[in-house]
Amino acid sequence: MGVFIEKPLPHGGRLVERVVRDPELGKKMAKMAKAVYDIKPTLHYETGVPVRNVYREIMSICYGFFSPVEGSMTKAELERVLKERRLLNEWVFPYPMLFDISEEDYASLGVELGDRVLLRLKGKPFAIIDVEEIYRIDPADVATRTFGTPEDNPEVVQQAFDKKHPGWVIYRSMNPVILAGKYTIINEPKLRPPFDRFWYPPRKAREEHVKRGWRTVINHQTRNVPHVGHEMLMKNAAYTGDIEPCHGIQVNAIIGVKRRGDYPDEAIVEGHEMVHLAGYIKPERHLVTICLWDMRYGNPIESLLHGIIRQNMGCTHHMFGRDHAAVGEYYDMYATQILWSKGIPSFGFPKSVNEVPYGLQIKAQNMAEFWYCPHCNEIAYSGCCNHTKEKQKFSGSFVRGMVAEGVFPPKVIFRPEVYKVIVKWWNKFEYPFCNEHYVQEKEEKLEIELPDMEI
Amino acid sequence: MAHFLVILLDDKRFSAIKGTEIEEKVSNLFGGALKAINVEVPEDAEKKIMETFTSARIDSRGAITDVPIAFTRAIFEEIAAQKSIGAEIFENVFSKIEEIKEAAAKESSCLPPPDIDISDIEELQKHPYQGE
Repeated sequence: MGVFIEKPLPHGGRLVERVVRDPELGKKMAKMAKAVYDIKPTLHYETGVPVRNVYREIMSICYGFFSPVEGSMTKAELERVLKERRLLNEWVFPYPMLFDISEEDYASLGVELGDRVLLRLKGKPFAIIDVEEIYRIDPADVATRTFGTPEDNPEVVQQAFDKKHPGWVIYRSMNPVILAGKYTIINEPKLRPPFDRFWYPPRKAREEHVKRGWRTVINHQTRNVPHVGHEMLMKNAAYTGDIEPCHGIQVNAIIGVKRRGDYPDEAIVEGHEMVHLAGYIKPERHLVTICLWDMRYGNPIESLLHGIIRQNMGCTHHMFGRDHAAVGEYYDMYATQILWSKGIPSFGFPKSVNEVPYGLQIKAQNMAEFWYCPHCNEIAYSGCCNHTKEKQKFSGSFVRGMVAEGVFPPKVIFRPEVYKVIVKWWNKFEYPFCNEHYVQEKEEKLEIELPDMEI
Repeated sequence: MAHFLVILLDDKRFSAIKGTEIEEKVSNLFGGALKAINVEVPEDAEKKIMETFTSARIDSRGAITDVPIAFTRAIFEEIAAQKSIGAEIFENVFSKIEEIKEAAAKESSCLPPPDIDISDIEELQKHPYQGE
């Protein structure tokens, strides 16, 4: 074993890049399409509220975040992912990636195997899918098998998934007809501000790491405006590395469909950026990035995807806390840390995901929690501070309540500059969190703009 | 275990209860950076809160959270009026629950932002470190 940790290869050995940058070539490819389909959001199967937009998956696949996946999965691949969390080429992959359409749309499209379909977004040409297989799914069955059951996965699944789980709802709400095949973006989109300055697809992220001289990089997963507890987590987790602490701290925000009560995505990315603009972490050591994905909240399953995304971006380490990407008590609160330390056999991992064939190279940094200790008079790590009676936790709901009441948070909770970013977007949206209006408008505007393309 | 509501106290609220018996119940949070009263919620009142406000939940500290601001405001006004944090304050608050629900419905779409100067961060944002 060498002294230095080497930057991991992309998952699967090479970065997938399926974006046509030459508009003329894009037009030529689009002209070969037999049918045109306007991408629609996936609507909640009961309430009709948008819960997903497949365009985000197309973006993340074509820009290589989900390498080695190249498109919508075939039936055999879907089954393998559900049973063993592996693709047909053996590489570990956690989630079904599916291009689903309704029976009505399938009938009107009239596509067959081998056909090309032009996918439009907001009325403009966006991507193509070359259809390799057409099959049907039972969305409820896919939803349940994606996340596991207490009977089949007793090590970590504590209760049956149901409609209160937003990830389960996404799969349950899918259409029954699946078009399987590779995607290609034929009309390169532009990210809308403020997301544009945080858009670092894997190749660009890797180049940026090199430019900054980063050998080791630890990733922080986020869907929150960072309070001081998050900042301490980032700073302390970054003390890992090889013979010195990690050179870089990369924040990767998952940007996608929002739930009421979440912070707006604009405040999340700019809040993290403010951590370095206001000097709490040197900007030379801190990179804020995004990935487009409608969170499935799959705790250990989601952590696999997070590991894949950040390994593809070139990170050497990934911090995982308690209840990683979790909602409710469906999973053991340490499920992610169990997966990365000793594996979860029923999900196909008899050992850590780093130790199985075709597994991941990015290393987990499993962290416990940070709290404020009035006795130590500092933000303390639970593994060190023994003043458990005096501790004051950074409860997300407590912090949200304080923000909603318009109380200026003390510096030990929010850096004042970070709080002011919340206020900046509060002024714009007339609300500090995502409300119905924000959620609706966001799913109409999405995060990208497409250039005009006449075909 | 009895659950509780955390009522945050800014300067104005604190002055309303200063010198009363409640002042002794005020706890300092985060090294004194924030003041609050933890109001114990009787079981029947907790049931009513959870039924009335679907967003309400109990967090890892045992605190009832995610209730409308109109509700916590009404609880504080009752505390200040009664000079008490006993069970009776919930009875009085629930007697005007329709009014509170009406106010809560409005706050789910619009909340006035605090009037604070953010020009310092706007200046910082003029010179981003990232991006083209």
